[in-house]
Amino acid sequence: MTAGVTTSTICLCTVFIVLFNVYVDSQDTDAQLCQMCEGTVRQDSPVWDFCLTKGHIRGRCCFRNNTSNVDTIIGLDLANCSISHIEHLYNSSTAFIILKIADLNLNTLRGNASWEKVEVKNNAKICQGQTNICNQTVQMPWDCPENSFCSPYGPGFFECSCLHNFHGYKCLRQGEFPIVKVLGILTGSTVVVSSLLWFTQRRKVKNT
Amino acid sequence: MWSLYTYHHLLAFLLTFLSYVLLHASRKTFSNVKVSISAQWTPSALQQNGSNSSLSPGETWEENQLFADVEEATLFLGALDSIFLFSYAVGLYISGVIGDRFNLRYVLSFGLCGSAVTEFVFGTLTEWLHFYNVYFYCILWVINGLLQSTVWPCVVAIMGNWFGKSGRGFIFGLWSACASVGNILGAFLASSVLKYGYEYAFLVTSVVQFAGGVVVFFGLLTSPKEIGLRDYSETGLRSVTRDSDSQHPLMNDDEDALCDEYSIQQRDEELEPQPKAIGFLQAFCLPGVIPYSLAYACLKLVNYSFFFWLPFYLCNNFGWKEVQADRLSVWYDVGGIVGGTVQGLISDVLGKRAPVLAISLLLAMGALVGYSHSPNNQLVNGALLATTGFLIGGPSNIISSAISADLGRQGALQNSQQALATVTGIVDGTGSIGAAGGQYLVSLIESKLGWMCVFYFFIIMTGCSVLFIIPLLYREICSLCRDSQARTHQL
Repeated sequence: MTAGVTTSTICLCTVFIVLFNVYVDSQDTDAQLCQMCEGTVRQDSPVWDFCLTKGHIRGRCCFRNNTSNVDTIIGLDLANCSISHIEHLYNSSTAFIILKIADLNLNTLRGNASWEKVEVKNNAKICQGQTNICNQTVQMPWDCPENSFCSPYGPGFFECSCLHNFHGYKCLRQGEFPIVKVLGILTGSTVVVSSLLWFTQRRKVKNT
Repeated sequence: MWSLYTYHHLLAFLLTFLSYVLLHASRKTFSNVKVSISAQWTPSALQQNGSNSSLSPGETWEENQLFADVEEATLFLGALDSIFLFSYAVGLYISGVIGDRFNLRYVLSFGLCGSAVTEFVFGTLTEWLHFYNVYFYCILWVINGLLQSTVWPCVVAIMGNWFGKSGRGFIFGLWSACASVGNILGAFLASSVLKYGYEYAFLVTSVVQFAGGVVVFFGLLTSPKEIGLRDYSETGLRSVTRDSDSQHPLMNDDEDALCDEYSIQQRDEELEPQPKAIGFLQAFCLPGVIPYSLAYACLKLVNYSFFFWLPFYLCNNFGWKEVQADRLSVWYDVGGIVGGTVQGLISDVLGKRAPVLAISLLLAMGALVGYSHSPNNQLVNGALLATTGFLIGGPSNIISSAISADLGRQGALQNSQQALATVTGIVDGTGSIGAAGGQYLVSLIESKLGWMCVFYFFIIMTGCSVLFIIPLLYREICSLCRDSQARTHQL
């Protein structure tokens, strides 16, 4: 299973996505998601029912009702969108996904191991309750390299973040170098030694 | 002998010693951070069941793609070593000639400070600016090689000015430990600062080297003549033999003293700003220069391969951490220091250098076989390293220092005194060409055939250096036999 989403067999699929506690990072991703296809959230979709109480609908997205300026997407209806590539949806922590797929050859995103509860009804596969891949009892395909730790990053995704005090590329660097102290000491001792040697050595030079 | 030396001599010894220590420390930094640099230049290698995947976030794990994987980065690092050594070799031929013509102090300070700036740009500035470019690295390393090449001929010439032939083997042997001390210092500096990032290792060593250049500029006296003391110049290579066998050392010194004073007076009268220097080709054709240069080419190859690749070999072959490998590689240099000093002393007592070198090199071939089969035990490995260092580093140090001084002060130079830096430049330059060719070969052999073949290559090279010394060895053994026969006849 690769890190990306296996989507090669999706065709004519209907996708309903209900997202809890999601903050999509950039405005661009918002625009991308909400304008993936034309139209608006359909009234017979579970997203509509969900959104009636929790937020307001704009395009294909359901936004949370909150007082801050930040728009948080909590629902997405991509029914009849003929999607073949939904990778960028997973820049956020997705907690609940409903996928209605016409072609049942599709592998659920990240397999059943990514979700606590998986139900199949009426051509829809409902995956609920994202599991934390870092805590899996099943052996992970690979471990985070040295000086980093695993943290979840979407259903079946993980990222390796640097441990405390480690930073930089590949978490190779540790701590802060005391550059001012080192340079200060070196400059001071150079001045002292040079002056000392000048007075004892080169001042005595006889010009032939 | 020791009453001839003043504290000025000690300071000249220490300052020239320090210059080369700092130079080698910064060179060693590069070889000690190879693992970290190649990690910085490559993305994370994650392979699972034959498929490649990438870690997130990309900025932390995948962003730098200067090389696709560590193997390519290693080949480039080997190429950088070769580039450095080639430009160092070319620079040596030139700098030797320059050093004999210009003020040694200016050339030395310029070389130290210039090289420090180049190293800073190479290692620290590129990392701070996140600018990684293969051609930029190569150009910088060529410039670094040219600038660093100014140092060795100047320091050997200055030492030759201050210290005469008596005890030269011992003093130069002790002094030539500067390269090994520099390696040790560089190893410790790099390993203590490495955790902050390899760019800080480069920062510290280049700033310290720059400071050294400043101190040398303000404090170094290039020759006893500058403060009115006597210069120690010789009139013949045979005077080395005469010294050790001589029944009348005092007469020897008096004779030389007379010659010295006369030549100094002459020079004062002429008021020449620059003493007459030997031509490059003339220096090349001096007796003994070519065989020793070729022998040194083979020997320096082996010596520098250990110098450049040892930490990398220890990490890859035994899986030890880079910091541990850096600390262990110190033992090779310790062996080199002891070897240079002890063998210099023996050759002084004997009056001949070639036999000592030949025996040491033959034993070194055995030591290399032993080291290549070293077990995965740090203690044993360290002991074998020290032995190998003694047997290889010893002759290497002697050829590049005491023998160069011998060659640059021999009888054929009656008319012109300034040949020391030129000859040193030639010997070391040829050595560096050999070492340069070897570096890339080492990384190539290692990637295609493995480390064991690299060791076989070293053994062959050591054997070749013995072959080159054979003519000189033959001559010196004959003269040894003749002298001992003459002594028995006298008795």
